[in-house]
Amino acid sequence: MDDFLQNNGFLIVTLVQQSLLAMSLYYPLMAGQLSLASPGFYALGGYVAAIIGTAEYFAPWRDSLGWVVFPLEWLAAGIISAVLALLVGIPALRLRGIYLALATIAFVEILRVICLNLEITGGAIGIFGVPQLFDSRWNYIWTFGPLLILMLFFSYRLDRSRVGRAFKAIREDELAADAMGINPTRYKVLAFVIGAVLAGVVGAMSAPFLNTWNARQGTFDASIAYLAYVLIGGSRSMWGPLLGGTLLAALPEILRPLKDSRLIINGLVLVFASIYMPQGIAGALGNIRSFTVRKLGFGGGEK
Amino acid sequence: MRRSVLVTLLLTLCAGTASAENVATPIPIGIGVAQTSNVALLGEEEVVGAKIAEKYFNAHGGINGTPFKLVFQDTGGDEAGAINSFQNLINRDKVVGIVGPTLSQQAFSADPIANRAKVPVIGPSNTAKGVPQIGEYVGRVSAPVAIVAPNAVKQALKEHPGIKKVAVLYAQNDAFNTSESGTFQETVKKMGLQIATLQKFQTTDTDFTSQVTAVLGAHVDLAIVSGLSADGGNLVKQLRQLGYKGPIIGGNGLNTVNIFPVCGQYCDGILIAQAYSPSADPKNAINAAMADDYRAKYKKEPPQFTAQTFTAVQVFVEALKKVEAVTKKKITQQDLGKVREELNKQIRTGSYMTPLGKISLDQEGEIHQENFYVAKIKMDPNGKTGKYVYVK
Repeated sequence: MDDFLQNNGFLIVTLVQQSLLAMSLYYPLMAGQLSLASPGFYALGGYVAAIIGTAEYFAPWRDSLGWVVFPLEWLAAGIISAVLALLVGIPALRLRGIYLALATIAFVEILRVICLNLEITGGAIGIFGVPQLFDSRWNYIWTFGPLLILMLFFSYRLDRSRVGRAFKAIREDELAADAMGINPTRYKVLAFVIGAVLAGVVGAMSAPFLNTWNARQGTFDASIAYLAYVLIGGSRSMWGPLLGGTLLAALPEILRPLKDSRLIINGLVLVFASIYMPQGIAGALGNIRSFTVRKLGFGGGEK
Repeated sequence: MRRSVLVTLLLTLCAGTASAENVATPIPIGIGVAQTSNVALLGEEEVVGAKIAEKYFNAHGGINGTPFKLVFQDTGGDEAGAINSFQNLINRDKVVGIVGPTLSQQAFSADPIANRAKVPVIGPSNTAKGVPQIGEYVGRVSAPVAIVAPNAVKQALKEHPGIKKVAVLYAQNDAFNTSESGTFQETVKKMGLQIATLQKFQTTDTDFTSQVTAVLGAHVDLAIVSGLSADGGNLVKQLRQLGYKGPIIGGNGLNTVNIFPVCGQYCDGILIAQAYSPSADPKNAINAAMADDYRAKYKKEPPQFTAQTFTAVQVFVEALKKVEAVTKKKITQQDLGKVREELNKQIRTGSYMTPLGKISLDQEGEIHQENFYVAKIKMDPNGKTGKYVYVK
């Protein structure tokens, strides 16, 4: 068991981390907004943690606070992400569909280029020697794991709350939702901010996890990867991002013995999953369940 | 009954992890470089270098008669991939040491993992400041920019002793070029020359009229350009077209055949400093052997990364021999952890005669290289193709 964790601890924690990032895309999607801004906030959160962890200016803080500085980094990353998300979200969410996606891609690029040019972010090399919370990679499950459980619980409650229903109403028909007294702009911005804060906090947790932070963390490629997680996993269920993130992040590593052909197999899985499971994995599983309930009378009790 | 079987199983499992194990035969050396993603362009050159080294040194007796084998684990282009690759090499493949990763950013991510596991790492292409300082188990055979770049300025002064005023131009939006240009500016000042004008541009620019006008107006004797192939090439072209006649030094961004189509005949004469030359020293037998093998397979001159990765493998092989000499025991009869520790010590002692010339690694793991080279671009009469001619 020890050996197994030594080998795969980093991978398992990565799966949790990627699932969380997929979730950060899921909240805006819940309100029908295709936002690809998550990698931007992820990168921002990582820089916040890396700068607090390494900059001269914060040295007295680090010395006096000890490990408490880590939760403070997460908090700082969350707050900064929320403020930036509000600033960006209010104008950007006036756009719809593909235009919003384009605007958020632009946002990620702008942030990347700024970080590439600033002195404090270390330019292209980035920031290295980020202080460690744990020695073993596996132990980082104690930061990402609880966050995942917390977010799952949050999603579960959100799904059944007034706010969650408002999100879904906007997703199904914004005009009708507006007519029923839901303020679409407010809820859209709220969904965007929730996703941004989550991505920011995950970023802040990831900087020590990856030992280093640089402008390559928040790129357009990452945006597409997160979107794939949600689409393959299923965008209509809180389990979708978890399933998609875990599966897609694990595949290239599980297929490692196949060497060069592993990326081909990886691509094939994506293609087949999107053809045969248009609702994502969570959607397909849901169909199987409703089928068994309807036809065979199993698992009754649920409507 | 069943319970006792389980208990024994568990006990053996625990014992399995706790007991020390010996180094496998053939001795595994890990290669963790980028074999996929866009970084693979560089990584593939490294894979080739490693494979040539494996063949060469095993044909020459391996480690005092024991063969070694290279274990390849793809890092991909990102940081997480580099960590996964290193974890696999360290825990699953049980290598004695690792050559990799390709990028400096990946090194900052994965090297601390190896350092904590006490596994020696040699970076074949990590040129950023701070890489050997990651930890006591981290070293490199790739000389940093700050050491390579000044050689081009020295060469220019040798060819044109009258140089007094210098124009320095760099792509401001690219970190590598900004820091490289910083090195050039320091070198110029240290050599008692005057920076007559300092011009910035963007890697996305195509029109350099204002920069060129400033350079021509300053009546400089030397122009130093740090940019990438497209912008740097265009800048050189416009400098020449608008009448600049003096020598031009290019940074590492221009160290690629991709600039030939950009500046065409105007590329001719650009000086670029190199950490490796395939043909500078005909007496270097090991370089000749490596370069011949490469030429036979690929019909072209071996690139720098191939030579540096070959060198990294060579350092491991020779250091392993030294470990056997010190411990007076075969590597394969020794505990893996102890071999890794001793190997790391031996890497940092003595010097190595490699394709890069004579090198050694200091206590920190930084390379000390005796020879650097300068190449001059020589364009063919058709103005489309050309080559790098090494000057000495």
